[in-house]
Amino acid sequence: MKRNSILLLVVVMVLSLFLTACGSAEPEAAQPSDSTEPAEVAEPTAEDPITLKFLHRWPDELYDGFFNDMAREYETANPGIIIDVQAIANDPFKEKIKVVLGTDEAPDVFFTWPGEFTNRFIRAGKVMDLTDVMMKDNYIDNYVASQMEPFTVDGKIYGAPVRVDGKIFVYNKEMFAQAGVEIPETWEEFVSVCEQLDAAGIVPIAFGNQAPWAVSHYIGTLNQKIVGEPIHAAYDPAVGDFSDPGFVTALEEFERIVPYFNKNTNAIKHSEARENWMASKAAMMYIEIVEIPEITRNGPAEIQDNYGVFEFPEYVGGNGDQTLLTGYPEGFVVSNTTKHPEEAIAFFKYITGKEVGLKEANAVGWLNGAKGIAKKGEISDSLYENTQIIYNAGGLVNWLDSGMHAKVTNEYLTDLQMLIDGLLTPQEVIDNVQEVATEVTSEF
Amino acid sequence: MKFGKKNYWLYILPAILLIGTFVYVPIIQNFYFSLFKMNSYTDEKIFVGLSHYVRIFKDDVFYTSLKNNITYALISVICQVGLGTVLAILIESKLTGRLRNFYRNVLFMPSLISVTAVGLLWYFIYNPNVGMLNALLTKIGLENLTHAWLAEPNVAIYSIIAMSQWQYTGYIMVLILVAIQKIPQELFEAAEIDGANGIQKSLFVIIPNIKEMLLVTSVITVIGAFKLFTEIYVMTMGGPYNTTQVLGTYLYQSAFMFDEMGYASAIAVIIFTITFTASIIQIRMAKSGKG
Repeated sequence: MKRNSILLLVVVMVLSLFLTACGSAEPEAAQPSDSTEPAEVAEPTAEDPITLKFLHRWPDELYDGFFNDMAREYETANPGIIIDVQAIANDPFKEKIKVVLGTDEAPDVFFTWPGEFTNRFIRAGKVMDLTDVMMKDNYIDNYVASQMEPFTVDGKIYGAPVRVDGKIFVYNKEMFAQAGVEIPETWEEFVSVCEQLDAAGIVPIAFGNQAPWAVSHYIGTLNQKIVGEPIHAAYDPAVGDFSDPGFVTALEEFERIVPYFNKNTNAIKHSEARENWMASKAAMMYIEIVEIPEITRNGPAEIQDNYGVFEFPEYVGGNGDQTLLTGYPEGFVVSNTTKHPEEAIAFFKYITGKEVGLKEANAVGWLNGAKGIAKKGEISDSLYENTQIIYNAGGLVNWLDSGMHAKVTNEYLTDLQMLIDGLLTPQEVIDNVQEVATEVTSEF
Repeated sequence: MKFGKKNYWLYILPAILLIGTFVYVPIIQNFYFSLFKMNSYTDEKIFVGLSHYVRIFKDDVFYTSLKNNITYALISVICQVGLGTVLAILIESKLTGRLRNFYRNVLFMPSLISVTAVGLLWYFIYNPNVGMLNALLTKIGLENLTHAWLAEPNVAIYSIIAMSQWQYTGYIMVLILVAIQKIPQELFEAAEIDGANGIQKSLFVIIPNIKEMLLVTSVITVIGAFKLFTEIYVMTMGGPYNTTQVLGTYLYQSAFMFDEMGYASAIAVIIFTITFTASIIQIRMAKSGKG
């Protein structure tokens, strides 16, 4: 009797161990071997609806409300489909998406940043290859070609934009007049504008770097303009070569404008800095075009007719193409493990398409990647003009932080905070980054 | 089947199974995972042996984290247990009079608020431009003491520690109050007859009689210090440049930001070892206290 009980105990213990240990392996086995092949699913009906999980990254009422409205409209037009809309805010999204993609509860259509951020999921087989879908009847022609490039990896297409974007300077016209300065055309002029504003007792640049992706936008742009082509080899996690002297030069140039930021940059959030700029506490700010609607909606009346935009000034003598614009679209992709590939693709086409795009432009002030939306008169003038900056650019340069391997990004951004505080020299920053980048290459 | 004396373990079997499945198996699994290179979104695992541990001991951020945890533990024990005891004695003394319950509740209140809410509250208090703290310092003429509290590397971690003391000293104080109230009244009377004053009563009657509780509260604060996470996550995310990183947040970032589940598991093993050792030491001490 006693022996039996012990046996029972052992069996139960082993079983429990086995069950917990298997947890992570199960989803893989459950996947269809070729998920682009439509699984055998019955036509969805109102009685037996199909639920698609849709994950985006804007929990704020305005944006989340918009996507929910779009989902409801889609449900009405497509009986038998239920769209389960979920939203996670920017910074936590970066962490949580990795966890949900590891489970078999992964969202069917989800948000992502193109570049290395997405590439690692592509390498892990989590993102559906949409090349066939896009090539069939030239469906891809429905999108603005330049905005689809970021979603193309090794010749395969994986997604489409939810909003196009680019980084520009906004400036306070009154303050510029007060200091007697004009829009700078070159980097040297830009530095001198900062000097003159400062001399006039105006804080030249509003900057909030508590979450250090903010600084990465400056450095990403300077790297592109000064270093040029070699940035691609540097950011590629498999190569990671930061030996080009331009990387140090870029930081040295950046150091020249550090004195012209507001105080306590590491203590202020980017959004707080924007508030300060809107309240006319600083003359300029380097922001994303998608933030302009924020100024229109929430800025005080005094700023509305009192601001203008200009592009990042040219770096004379830089090796990079000076017509390129820092800024990448953000987009949606389809999960490779979705149980309803056909329905997921259909919804993906809808949410990145022209119909939603037009409503999006007017409701939230963003432009998605569909062709034929950016027409004068159909969308607001400022949105139209800013969009032209994106479309007229010689090309787009990915955000530094989503363009590189997470570990390299972390080292780079942490060190940049220290550079701003004067604790590291440009050379030391690049040495540290190179060290981590080399470490990372060993994983490829 | 007959339930004889020897079958006592059958009664504890359900508990063992539950604890085993949800506590011991994960701990063992965690150690196993620390030997692999893996991330959260693929099933691929590469065996790397003990190299994560080798790396940990060369990792500057790990040492910063450990130092911050230890600093937090030391300050917490001194402030929460030390100051908490003093406050408890004061509240129990005749000085507080009719306002006794009022003081107790006011001091206890902060520990009832969720850490996230407290973190946000203090985030605004510490804000360098619009925050209350800098405004207050400026008002009373101490402008040179103003700081960007959460952004200056030498100040940030102490700002967070200070917030925790504000939150938890009252909690520890209440635990000690309970212990003081359990001391037999005769002891105080005897001391009074012997002519002891307030301080003497505290030192020679109260402290020796609440020794057990002081040990328990020390264990709670030290273990709490090594489990620190939410405060940092809400207020600084470990920044500026990792100076407020603690083991908990570093583990989290390694796992979910840098895609290094294995390395994070190794950090978890270290945290486990530290808290486990701390508990054993303090349990031993508590036993010797009895004897």
